[in-house]
Amino acid sequence: MKKLMIHSMALLATAFIASTTLAHDPSEHMTKNEEPKCAGMDHSKMDMTDPVAQAMMEQCSMSGDKQKMDMKHSQHKNMHSSEKDKESMRMKMKANHDSHDEHQH
Amino acid sequence: MKTMTTISCFKKLLLLASILLLGALAFIYSGIYPMGADSKHFPATYWVLETLREQSIARAAKDIVVPDNINASTRLLAGGADYNDMCASCHLKPEKSSSDFSLGLYPVPPNLAIKHDDHAHSDDENTEDKRRFWIIKHGIKASGMPSWAPGHDDERIWNMVSFIKRLPDLNAQQYQVLTARKKGDTGHH
Repeated sequence: MKKLMIHSMALLATAFIASTTLAHDPSEHMTKNEEPKCAGMDHSKMDMTDPVAQAMMEQCSMSGDKQKMDMKHSQHKNMHSSEKDKESMRMKMKANHDSHDEHQH
Repeated sequence: MKTMTTISCFKKLLLLASILLLGALAFIYSGIYPMGADSKHFPATYWVLETLREQSIARAAKDIVVPDNINASTRLLAGGADYNDMCASCHLKPEKSSSDFSLGLYPVPPNLAIKHDDHAHSDDENTEDKRRFWIIKHGIKASGMPSWAPGHDDERIWNMVSFIKRLPDLNAQQYQVLTARKKGDTGHH
């Protein structure tokens, strides 16, 4: 009976703690790491003498560099893969040529 | 005869002061004062506390030297992410007019994302910068405003001041760009 009481109390305490953690919107207290959303920025309307515009350009150019780097990296990978394809094509052609040589009449 | 009257008057004043002191002690120990943040001060109490706060901050902050480059874009960028992490939940951001903290804290934390022309603490921008810096660095007693000095050097606090100065001018997109902290940047030294 005593054990049942202790279990019930523990269960109630757990339920209470769980309910208090749900009382706030968790996003209010989260530190989010996120990329700046620079898409759709109209640079022509910006006053480039304004520190806000300068800071935005700096922030977006930093993320732009990363995107460029990603693009270059993917292009590099594509180049590598296309060279591999060409190599495998050459190997296949050579193999076909050899097999034809074997089967020459 | 005149001396006797003076002594009698002094005794009466002493008695009155003692009664007031005992009454104050009785009030403190009785526990009847409503301490909840949802119970507002009387206007007179609020005026006393607000005046005490502003006079104290003005005196303490008067010798602070504002950096020449307080408006630099690099400071704005460095202060933005810290503001978003440390201040926005109470002092809000563009297109957010309330939060759990702004609704529940008393005194209500000021919404720093909007202009307060009707309630400016100083016409002088330099004095206002000193005030902002002092408040961020030292905090305010019994208001929910912490001191950020432990763990944050003066440069970092000036960066936040720089961002707060321009915050009312920002729209939601500008705010997002300026406060974005990239992956791996925890904001700690």
